[in-house]
Amino acid sequence: MTADDLPLETLAPEAAARLSQWLRDYAPPPGAPDELFDASGRPSLAWLKLLSHYAEYPVEEFNRRFGLATRHIRETGVSYRIFGEENERIWPLNSLPLILTPKDWRQIVEGVTQRFQLMEALLADLYGEAKVVTEGLLPAAAIAGARDYIRAMRGVKPPGGRHLHHFAVDLGRGPDGRWWVLNDRSQSPSGAGYALENRLVLSRAFSNLYDAMQVQRLASFFDGFRASLSATSGRADPRMCLLTAGRFSETYFEQAHIARYLGLLLVEGDDLVVRQGRVYVRTIEGLKRADVILRRVDADFIDPLELNNSSRLGTPGMMEAIRSGGVAVVNILGSGVLESRALLGFLPRICSHFLGEELKLPHVATWWCGQPGARAFVKERLHELVIAPSFPGLGQADALKAPSLLSDMSEANRADTLARLEDRPFDLVGQEWVRLSTMPALRGGKLVAAPFVLRVYACAGPDGIKVMPGGFCRTSERSDARAIFMGEDAETADVWVLSDGPVERVTLLADKDEVAVRRLAGRLPSRAADNLFWLGRYLERAEATLRLVRSLRASLMDPEQGAHAAGLTLTALEELLIEWGALDASTLGAGAAEAAHRALYNRDTYGSVISLILAAQRTASGMRERLSPDFWTLLGRLEEQLSENAASSTTPDDALTQTEAVLRVLAALSGLAQENMNRSAGWRFLDLGRRLERGINTCQWVRILGIEAATTDDLDLLLDLIDSQITYRARYLVGLALTPVRDMAMLDPFNTRSVAFQILKVKEHLEALPSLAEDGMIEAPRRLAIALAAEIEIADAKAMTPETVNRLEGELESLSLALADRYFQQGAQATPKVKMTGLA
Amino acid sequence: MIYSVRHTTTYTYEDGARFAQCVLRLRPRDTARQTVLSSQVEISPEPAQALRQLGPFGEEVVRVLIDQPHHQLVISARSRVLLAPEPGMGLFASPRLADVRDQASRSDDLGPDGPATFLYPTSSTPLVKAITAYARESFADQRPIYDAAHELMSRIHGDFAYDVTATDVATPAAVAFAHRRGVCQDFANVMVSGLRGLGVPAAYVSGYLRTEPPPGEARLQGADATHAWVRVWCGIDLGWVGFDPTNAVVPNSDHIVLAVGRDYADVAPIEGVILTEGRQSLKVEVDVTPEL
Repeated sequence: MTADDLPLETLAPEAAARLSQWLRDYAPPPGAPDELFDASGRPSLAWLKLLSHYAEYPVEEFNRRFGLATRHIRETGVSYRIFGEENERIWPLNSLPLILTPKDWRQIVEGVTQRFQLMEALLADLYGEAKVVTEGLLPAAAIAGARDYIRAMRGVKPPGGRHLHHFAVDLGRGPDGRWWVLNDRSQSPSGAGYALENRLVLSRAFSNLYDAMQVQRLASFFDGFRASLSATSGRADPRMCLLTAGRFSETYFEQAHIARYLGLLLVEGDDLVVRQGRVYVRTIEGLKRADVILRRVDADFIDPLELNNSSRLGTPGMMEAIRSGGVAVVNILGSGVLESRALLGFLPRICSHFLGEELKLPHVATWWCGQPGARAFVKERLHELVIAPSFPGLGQADALKAPSLLSDMSEANRADTLARLEDRPFDLVGQEWVRLSTMPALRGGKLVAAPFVLRVYACAGPDGIKVMPGGFCRTSERSDARAIFMGEDAETADVWVLSDGPVERVTLLADKDEVAVRRLAGRLPSRAADNLFWLGRYLERAEATLRLVRSLRASLMDPEQGAHAAGLTLTALEELLIEWGALDASTLGAGAAEAAHRALYNRDTYGSVISLILAAQRTASGMRERLSPDFWTLLGRLEEQLSENAASSTTPDDALTQTEAVLRVLAALSGLAQENMNRSAGWRFLDLGRRLERGINTCQWVRILGIEAATTDDLDLLLDLIDSQITYRARYLVGLALTPVRDMAMLDPFNTRSVAFQILKVKEHLEALPSLAEDGMIEAPRRLAIALAAEIEIADAKAMTPETVNRLEGELESLSLALADRYFQQGAQATPKVKMTGLA
Repeated sequence: MIYSVRHTTTYTYEDGARFAQCVLRLRPRDTARQTVLSSQVEISPEPAQALRQLGPFGEEVVRVLIDQPHHQLVISARSRVLLAPEPGMGLFASPRLADVRDQASRSDDLGPDGPATFLYPTSSTPLVKAITAYARESFADQRPIYDAAHELMSRIHGDFAYDVTATDVATPAAVAFAHRRGVCQDFANVMVSGLRGLGVPAAYVSGYLRTEPPPGEARLQGADATHAWVRVWCGIDLGWVGFDPTNAVVPNSDHIVLAVGRDYADVAPIEGVILTEGRQSLKVEVDVTPEL
């Protein structure tokens, strides 16, 4: 690019004014390189070009565009989190990307590719003959302390021969202007999902700039990564999974996002079983083989039988499957050993040993105190160096968990560190203190110099090593590298790798002719089926509870309150709410208004509406990748609405309106499920949960309100609860009578709220679901459903006793258990497991 | 001396078990002075699968899968072991702590007999400041490592009460140390943690004791079950030396090594996952008799 490319002279006066104001304000701190201005104070042309494009937008227009794009992506994308769940980190995105010129990028690609090759060779050696150790290039103690040196992997050959399939490095620009490695990420590098999300936001807001600036696209990298995963298995159409630690993992949503983007089945340890050295996914169609596992679970936790026996995240027998080559786990267990700082000082020699060349990317100077010479050097410069643990994780005293300057430590921590340096010097390294280089960021309309760290991703496949043309960039307000890794006041930025020529558009859309049409998604894992079923039950129970509360509240509005409120009916409703766990027993007698309020908002009772909605959210968050963003948004809105209502004091009139508003959102949610969800097995389980729950609830209402002694008020209420007032009035002109109301609630197959209707639907679902039995026999859940349907078809509303209703309710419960037994637990593979460790 | 060892473990499940997956480490390890003449394991019910392999610490590992319903699982191991007496270590001069530490961190042996592996804490035997400080008292005045380790062993034996009710298999060393009581495993954990805190490689050993003592000698603690003690790396020349803090003896002709690891988890004789809903009970019988 030359200065002629700059649109400076063509800028409108306001834009030119904005640009020069930005540049006047911009003051990178001295002593560290900056991306916008080089050492001699000359601005980078690429950055100037970008900034002048940005300057063309009036401030409001700019904020509106960026704000809209951010909100849209955040609500539907990776990091939208459930209100109140704190474990998911949100990285705010800066509107300015990090720009990497073709020249910068070449250095990075060459360096990262070489480092990848080196790490692969080192891993192969450490888990093979360990010649680097026996030949004296690396002391055994510099490896043995790593929790991720998995001894059981010694001698195990990974399928396809490759140990490291993906790898990332954290980079910063060093004082000499070259890129430096700050950290290696070899266990299961995270953050690529955020990088994708950042790209989505920025490309939505400023789509034209990507072409104008010739920014390289990310999609083909992921395409290549998927192909490389697929190639590891050696099978034509392998089943590939992403193994997650579950929704409590800090980057769970990113994992779900990556799984969806790459088309991997998102599984937890409990979804998998090992048989005869092979790994299988528990699905509603039985055990299905898993060929490739991309793990986001640390190695130690992957097999409670052979590795960390306190792990609840793993699958017993996984090591055996890995050893026998029955599954490809990516990266290999034990790849995390490369993240040890103890290694860094030895890498230059190891590199020339393995590759016969020098390291192309320098890293932070590091001295491992296990060596007497290095220890002496560190002791001499104790106050200039950062002291850091040699190995990440495990067994470190608090004082040594993060890299620190001695002068920043508390008195006690400093004493501990110095004692450690004497007693166990091999636990520590000394590192040069890194002052991060800076890049421009827009904060509050001002251009500021933000210290940053760039994470670059690479993967290896049949065509060699590919580096993602972009990255995950984190910035901080502090120039200390450690602040960024701890996430303090960090922001993120998209990373634009500029190309020398025009950029080809690539998406993950495959070549049209190569893809066979497939109408059904892959097989449904049992855990997902289980979660969907319970999601359906929670939502239905929430709706039923809301209807009860609405009736309580409506009675308060009734001018003939005396007849109603004093009656046995309301007491019966309150008792039912107690039975359902929506109220605690102490509420009885506190009045209908109070009971209604508590049944809605009391978070301490498990059956209150708010508790049920939270339970539904928790259940749903374990399978985010299966729910549409709209579904998700509505679910979030339910909770918001309830929380707001709970806080506002209201008249009975308002309270009733609020209840009805919440009911409408619930109705929208079930409408969404009916209309927008694919008629796959997943939808059937969601609906099964809803139908069974509704059937059971209706039985309970009839048991209380549809008995011989029922008053017209009772029958009226029952019709309210089953939402059948209009139908009844249209059908019967005689007024309320027990037999027709009971028929409508229990037996009428045309009334969508009747028990009969639910049973017919359940039967229909079960007929559509796959059967495991190869002998043609009917499976237990279906047998129960058929019997129930027959029973209800021939039943007579007039002769129906409370015992009959009770029995039907019990049979619906048995059906629910039979469902769980058949589809969710998979017989002998089921939890609960009991550990048998004993001091034997 | 040739010993015959019988080690039977019986799990009884109240509601029956449908499935069991276990890892067995029941074949005694061959060492410089211990030769395993024969060893076999019988399992009832008959496993659907039993795979034999060498584990990462040189121990034999058998992976067993039982997929038939059962109420009782019986694992019975029998071995014959030839044991040569330990040469009198105390007679040799041993190096000082600083030299042991340096030799260990310079070692080029990443395997199960090298010192490097045993330098570092594990999740079940972390470093504990108080225990390190306790161990440090035995290393005053540049005392040679063997003498210091021997004194530490004797102090643990003297300061701690043998109490089978105080701890269980999952009790951390810090808790046993705070109460100054426990069983062989706790004594071993405390000694291992203390030594590692000072940068001395220390290993956890599981094994057996001779059940009935030779005439005229006292019966050792822990003889009716599996036993645990410690190995300390005393520098390149001396190598690994055993210390039994439960009995304050240097294992000689009464200790049979089953497995050596960084902690209990590395050497647990039986580990596994079973599927059962009810409670389980466990019975362990060990019998070690010299052949005449």
